[in-house]
Amino acid sequence: MSTATRPARAGAWLLAAPALGLLTAFLVLPYLNMVVMSFRTPSTSNVFAPGFTIANYVDVLGDEDLYYLKILWETLSLGFVTTLICLVLGFPLAYHLARSRSRWSALLYAFVLSPLLVGVVVRCYGWIIILANNEGLINSSLRQLGWIETYIPLMYNWVGVTIGLVHIFLPFMILPITAAIQSIDPRLEEAARSLGASRLTAIRRTVLPLAVPGIQAGSILVFVLTISSYVIPVLLGGFNVVLMPTLVVQQLLDAMLWPFGAALAFVLAIAGTVVVWLYLVLTNRLIRGVTG
Amino acid sequence: MRVRSRLGHAAYGGFVVLVYAFLLTPLVIVVVASFNSGNYLTFPPEGFSIRWYAKFFDSDAFMGSLFYSLQLAALCTLFATVLGTGIALYTVRFAGRLREQIRLLVLLPLLLPEILTAIALLFFYYNIEDVFDWAGTSVGFRNSFWGLLIGHVLVTLPFVFLSISAALHNFDRSLEEAARSLGADRYVTFRRITLPIIKPGIISGALLAFIISFDLFNISLLLKGIGTATLPIQLFDYVRWDFDPTAAAVSTVSILVTVAVLVIVQRLVGLQSLRF
Repeated sequence: MSTATRPARAGAWLLAAPALGLLTAFLVLPYLNMVVMSFRTPSTSNVFAPGFTIANYVDVLGDEDLYYLKILWETLSLGFVTTLICLVLGFPLAYHLARSRSRWSALLYAFVLSPLLVGVVVRCYGWIIILANNEGLINSSLRQLGWIETYIPLMYNWVGVTIGLVHIFLPFMILPITAAIQSIDPRLEEAARSLGASRLTAIRRTVLPLAVPGIQAGSILVFVLTISSYVIPVLLGGFNVVLMPTLVVQQLLDAMLWPFGAALAFVLAIAGTVVVWLYLVLTNRLIRGVTG
Repeated sequence: MRVRSRLGHAAYGGFVVLVYAFLLTPLVIVVVASFNSGNYLTFPPEGFSIRWYAKFFDSDAFMGSLFYSLQLAALCTLFATVLGTGIALYTVRFAGRLREQIRLLVLLPLLLPEILTAIALLFFYYNIEDVFDWAGTSVGFRNSFWGLLIGHVLVTLPFVFLSISAALHNFDRSLEEAARSLGADRYVTFRRITLPIIKPGIISGALLAFIISFDLFNISLLLKGIGTATLPIQLFDYVRWDFDPTAAAVSTVSILVTVAVLVIVQRLVGLQSLRF
């Protein structure tokens, strides 16, 4: 038998080789190369000069006005806010989707998926039509009603960016929580209710604790997507909202300061990883508290 | 008590409806704006017109980028599906001790922020070009169709992989054993038994790869060639400075491409088989 399986295993490598080759050559190597790039010496005439330095990181972290650290903090804060709003809006919807017995539930699922499957530029443009400061749907309608004279600033500021981010990343919160709730036995809630708990208490005491893994996954997805998003802040925030990804792309494409841009990107990536790790440590303690 | 609970239930229902509406509104608005005759969408709309579509179809920049995107997405789908099927078969069937590590490697493009991968590729294409220049040849991944294509394949590969892996996991191995015991060799067994059974997974993975590649932004922004732009990039450049509804017509066509693909998925394998 072992002689019969050996040729299969030997040939099986051929199935994996193209994909593994691609991932090694064009993912692993480029990331290692990016680490090297962040330590290269900046140059004004070329994208980098010979030699290595830690000056790029010193420039990011040790800027006199703390400019870059301030933007890092604003980027992470926006990540917290967006994640929190997505959780508040997403949990009830996920509960509804998971427990829905109606024949429309496939359609509802498609509703939740639909924003995910349409390009981010298209979705942002939809919000531009609605929110635009002078001629946006909301402002022009309010003006026509005579409720306002000029306009309410809804775009080119943090409000517009937050609305766009919440809308675009909400499905990433809803889908993992829906999956988590679907795996919870509905009889648990029924038992709680038959013992006299109100509907809300039953959900809070049975569903919510058991859905924590889904909440964890959804929150991390939304947070990471938010702090690394480029299109939404640029289109809905204009020049008034500057975040780390915007800054990185500026350094790379406009200023051609590649080593510095690479260092900026890594500072963001490391800060993001630390936040996610802290969040996991804290919420895992919460899970142990529930089950233990 | 019962009144309070009924009120609470109504509030919950209203909240859920509002969130569904929030998810859909921008998409509906874009479609409505594209058929509105005015320069801006007002309430009530000014009248029906297809002039924004005429403007779109007359625009060489938009039409060129539409075909460029369709080409790119089609090729990306082809490569991602072939590579994804191979690696999924290997990981589920043959991988030994390294299975989890291989899974992680294939899913990495999904776990890493797309913009970081784009930056890494931008640097890498530049650096290897240097090396090859020094060796006296030119590879030309930088600012080229092929460089962009590799980026798209990387990002879509995990989706194909997940979809086909799932199909392989729900697979009754005894069917293959039956075929083998009836005298079919490995290749006939694969072609006649394995492939037809995992076909839904392959189709939904491939179509998902198409949609994702068609809408991909960050990779295309950093790796695009000079003078060539994908549709999302062209649209981005347009709506940055100009809000006129030509962009709405372009967006609606882009939504239609997605809807068409989804209809194909629903017809062939059912929407439920789309996995993220």
